[in-house]
Amino acid sequence: MRNETMPLLEVENLKMSFTSGKRGKKVTVNAIDDNSFKIYEGETFGLVGESGCGKTTTGRTIIRLYNPTEGVMRFQGKEISGPMTKELRHFLTDNIAMIFQDPIDSLNPRMTVEEIIGEGLKYRGMKNPEERREIVYDMLNKVGLTHEHASRYPHEFSGGQRQRIGIARALVVKPKLIIADEPVSALDVSVQAQVINLLNDLKEELGLTIMFVAHDLSVVKYFSTRVAVMYYGKIVEMAPSEELYRHPLHPYTRALLSAVPQPNPLLEKTRQRITYDKVRDHIEMDEPRMMREILPEHFVYCNSKEFERYQSML
Amino acid sequence: MADLKKKVIDIPEDILNIPAEKFEFAQIHNTIYDAVPETESRGFFKDALVRLKKNKASIAAFWILCAIIVLAIIGPSLTPYTFSQQFPEYVNMPPRVPYLEDMGIFNGKQVLTNRRLDSLEDTSKFPEGSVLGYSNPHEVRGVTLVDVEVNYYKYVGADDTYFWFGTDGMGRDVWTRLWRGARVSLVIALAAVLSDVAIGIVYGSVAGYYGGKLDMIMMRICEIINAFPNVVVCTLCILLFGSGIPAMILALMIRGWVPTARMVRAQFLRFRGREYVMAAQTMGVPDYALIFRHILPNSIGPIITRTMIAIPNAIFTESFLAFIGLGLAPPEPSIGTLLSSGQKVLMQYPHLTLFPALTISVLMIAFNLFGNGLRDALDPTQRGHE
Repeated sequence: MRNETMPLLEVENLKMSFTSGKRGKKVTVNAIDDNSFKIYEGETFGLVGESGCGKTTTGRTIIRLYNPTEGVMRFQGKEISGPMTKELRHFLTDNIAMIFQDPIDSLNPRMTVEEIIGEGLKYRGMKNPEERREIVYDMLNKVGLTHEHASRYPHEFSGGQRQRIGIARALVVKPKLIIADEPVSALDVSVQAQVINLLNDLKEELGLTIMFVAHDLSVVKYFSTRVAVMYYGKIVEMAPSEELYRHPLHPYTRALLSAVPQPNPLLEKTRQRITYDKVRDHIEMDEPRMMREILPEHFVYCNSKEFERYQSML
Repeated sequence: MADLKKKVIDIPEDILNIPAEKFEFAQIHNTIYDAVPETESRGFFKDALVRLKKNKASIAAFWILCAIIVLAIIGPSLTPYTFSQQFPEYVNMPPRVPYLEDMGIFNGKQVLTNRRLDSLEDTSKFPEGSVLGYSNPHEVRGVTLVDVEVNYYKYVGADDTYFWFGTDGMGRDVWTRLWRGARVSLVIALAAVLSDVAIGIVYGSVAGYYGGKLDMIMMRICEIINAFPNVVVCTLCILLFGSGIPAMILALMIRGWVPTARMVRAQFLRFRGREYVMAAQTMGVPDYALIFRHILPNSIGPIITRTMIAIPNAIFTESFLAFIGLGLAPPEPSIGTLLSSGQKVLMQYPHLTLFPALTISVLMIAFNLFGNGLRDALDPTQRGHE
């Protein structure tokens, strides 16, 4: 099922740091701290972690809203981490699209839905408005809206509808990879399901690859084929979805999973909340930690002693 | 607690263990489309217009502005006189308007003080029917002097002429000069403010959009320009370029664009990091389109408001400059020069000051009310702020 030879997106040692303050009092924050991962064609790659751990920054760096501090990113073998040129921007916009987190903020309030969705086409050389309109109407139908909605402004829609407009905007340019930056976290739970199901259907229909950024583990479990857990800018565990939920190894992953409420009241009563303590839960060694493959496709960020401990836990 | 436990245990086993095959999707094959809202689609400006219409004061101000602008355009041509035409024999005539004069106002009435009572009968001095009455008789060296109330038009032998707002010290029609002056003031203010806004938008956009060092340098330049006192800049400008209309516009413009640039920059900083701008960026929308299609339309409210508030300020500054003697060269009038020459004879001929003062006051109030109404309409969250 997976194309092993050639990943769609390859990220190697990606670092992204932000500096603030003036000379002398410079503060540097490593939002992404030396991460490597691959995304294969057709899969849904989930990226989870707590607020502020760098999930969104990772997504935005891949689509080059930020310039990475260090590291190499390759899309279908072509490097996309170099200096931003017109050609590179075109390559990126043709292949990668992004769905944003906030359905209110991500649509320009002064533009109609048609203009919003058609904009990507317009700047990709489709100058004929009639032609654009056809495609926009088609896309609106795909996300469950009708062409009567096209002449409306964003404020006339509900949150779920707006998020679907955001999805339509991302998909209209037929990208290969979608970066979904917490597309459902701002939505009501009942609407979350609607949007997730829509994404799932579209994924199958259009053969998309999705990088799904979220902090809600139950959503990620339902949706993703592979999951990476991020903590303070660092990916600490990466495994296929089922595997990760069956054998969470890194103490942070275990803490995160223990926070998910169980729908079954009997299980929920027995659920134990695990807390994560950086000092208590790790074995300190001189040897630096690195990503180690503990089971096939299951990587944990650890040193050799911790590796042994995790192996014994399996 | 015990109750709770019991309740949990009470859930029947067969409900907890329903096999997955027994569930079926209620709706999976046909897509359900969202209902179309029945109300009409309302864009930003339509929405603002609806809110503006609810503000009675603004609407009144708007019509007053329209009236003043119409008068400024057609006012001077309503009279048979031109703004520079002098009537040496009709100097300082009081206001006189046909029909209104029958009602006792604007009837060309003037009080002449200290006239000999016995000369009132002399038709060579006081023509037939010119004397309306007299008061305050008092004796000086055996001669009775009185204050005579006359119809000044009959007194000077011009019964069939009408100067609606009277004439000034050189015998020029005040009505014609007032509306000509209003026109000049408005043109200067509008031209100055429009060029302010044009420069301010470009400058502020560039500074706010690109940010960083460029922004820092551009804003320091703004501060340097702003550091010079307005009067000094205007004086120098007028000394350098003479006192024509272009020089006045330039004088008002030199510093005028700075607040607009700052405001536009602030708007850009506010909208630059919004997700819809990022979304457009990821779709390959070029810089100019980001500026003009995404950021600027969202900051159009404050820009319009600021323009509307800047116009009365420009009018006032122009009048102020004219008042201190830096105005247009005569005979070209502006409201400021009219006030400046009128206040010298305020006690004797108050009508020379009254009409320009009324006009500029009404103009300023109307512009401010309308500007405030526009601000409330374009940005409802700003209501009540100053």
